[in-house]
Amino acid sequence: MWSIPSYLLAGMIVYGAIGWLLDRWLDTSAFFPIGTVLGLMLAGYLAYRKFSR
Amino acid sequence: MKLAATLLAAEEGEFNPLFPHTYELVVGIFAFLVVFFVVGRMLVPRIQKTLAERTDAIEGGIKRAEEAQAEAQALQRRYSEQLEEARRDAARLREEAREQAAQIKAELREEAQAEARRLVEAAHAQIEADRQAAFAQLRTEIGRLSTELAGRIVGESLEDEARQSRIVDRFLDELESSNAQAVR
Amino acid sequence: MITLTAPAHGDEFSAPTPNELFDLPPLIPGVEWFTKPVLLAVLSAILVIGLTWAAFSKPKLVPRGMQNVVEYGYMFVRDQVARPFLGKDADRFMGLLVTLFFLVLVWNLAGVIPVVQFPVASHIAFPAVLALSIYVLKIWLGIKHQGLGGYFKNMMFPPGLPKAIYVLLSPIEFLSNMIIAPFTHAVRLFANMFAGHMLLAFFSMVGFWFLFEKLTPLGAPVGIVGVVMTIIFTGFEIFIQFLQAFLFAMLASMYIGGSLHAEH
Repeated sequence: MWSIPSYLLAGMIVYGAIGWLLDRWLDTSAFFPIGTVLGLMLAGYLAYRKFSR
Repeated sequence: MKLAATLLAAEEGEFNPLFPHTYELVVGIFAFLVVFFVVGRMLVPRIQKTLAERTDAIEGGIKRAEEAQAEAQALQRRYSEQLEEARRDAARLREEAREQAAQIKAELREEAQAEARRLVEAAHAQIEADRQAAFAQLRTEIGRLSTELAGRIVGESLEDEARQSRIVDRFLDELESSNAQAVR
Repeated sequence: MITLTAPAHGDEFSAPTPNELFDLPPLIPGVEWFTKPVLLAVLSAILVIGLTWAAFSKPKLVPRGMQNVVEYGYMFVRDQVARPFLGKDADRFMGLLVTLFFLVLVWNLAGVIPVVQFPVASHIAFPAVLALSIYVLKIWLGIKHQGLGGYFKNMMFPPGLPKAIYVLLSPIEFLSNMIIAPFTHAVRLFANMFAGHMLLAFFSMVGFWFLFEKLTPLGAPVGIVGVVMTIIFTGFEIFIQFLQAFLFAMLASMYIGGSLHAEH
């Protein structure tokens, strides 16, 4: 229950970082916010599957 | 929000609340370890032992109470069994007495009936014998009377005994057979 | 209160800044390390040891006085913190969890005790060393009980998820458990104490300023509101301080439990 924030944070950091790297590499600016939101969603899904049982 | 604001504010000065001081880290770990060794390693095992003993004591008390209760129940069961047995004995004795009484009564009745029957039979036999005797006497009496009567009527004495007797017998047989229906 | 009287910059009311509230000078000039939070951390440790010693040094079957009180705390930690996450292993870790709960609770409560009025845990160093100790213990226990490979496999590949999605979720699991978790463990406690102290300082400052420093007919009601809010938030802070001490010990218990047994 109380470790959900750390999951959400971890999701945003992992996929935000991937997006940021993609942005730097491709010289774009869209992947960082996309990655952050995707990471948040994935982490939310993971937390839901882990703690809804 | 407040935290973010303070972080930004702090970067302007030298103070940053997210940056730990070295001496505080040392004091922190020292305080933690001392408390852990005294409280966690020395004192908590003592209270755990006491709690275990308390649980034992409570469980022991419950067990003793259960034993006492079981004993009381056994005793009660024994008493009620004895009582039941006594009651059964009494009932049995009563039943026996009743049966005996009935038997005695039946025997007595039987005896009385037999006695009565015997008396009746004796009376019957007596009557029969009396009747026989009276009959025999009557027969001779009638024979003599008839002979005398016949002799007087005929006027002559019947010397011939055999003949006389035969006549009388015949007369009597006729009399008897006609009488027999009348008497009975 | 001692620190609050100092920042009188002039005629204007100014809210207390984090620097004024948390960057405290040494108590003895020249001895740089000896600051108020350091002194309070040590005094709290001595207080915890003293109270627990008074209660548990010669424990009685029928508890009396101090033993009753501290035993109540012990039972709370055992039934609410240890047993839900550790089950039959609870007794092994009671020493650690009781230490954590009592120490953090006293550190936190120092924030509302009159005159003292500084939550030790609002300096991140103190929550950080505790969280770091738990973190090391967590990894050590995990490797000891599940094996090096098993520990990381169980952590990164929790059962019950569609297979294809592990590629996406395992990095989150790893980062969350290995890096973010100890960080949030410490920061949650720190941030709550920090913000709580800021709020209390602000409201008591309002009350002090408008009722004592610059008493005016217009300002007096504001000062009264400040005093009332200080009282309300002190009560609220006591609850938060208790809750955070409980949460800190509970998370420690949860991490230890997760290392002892792989997730179901």
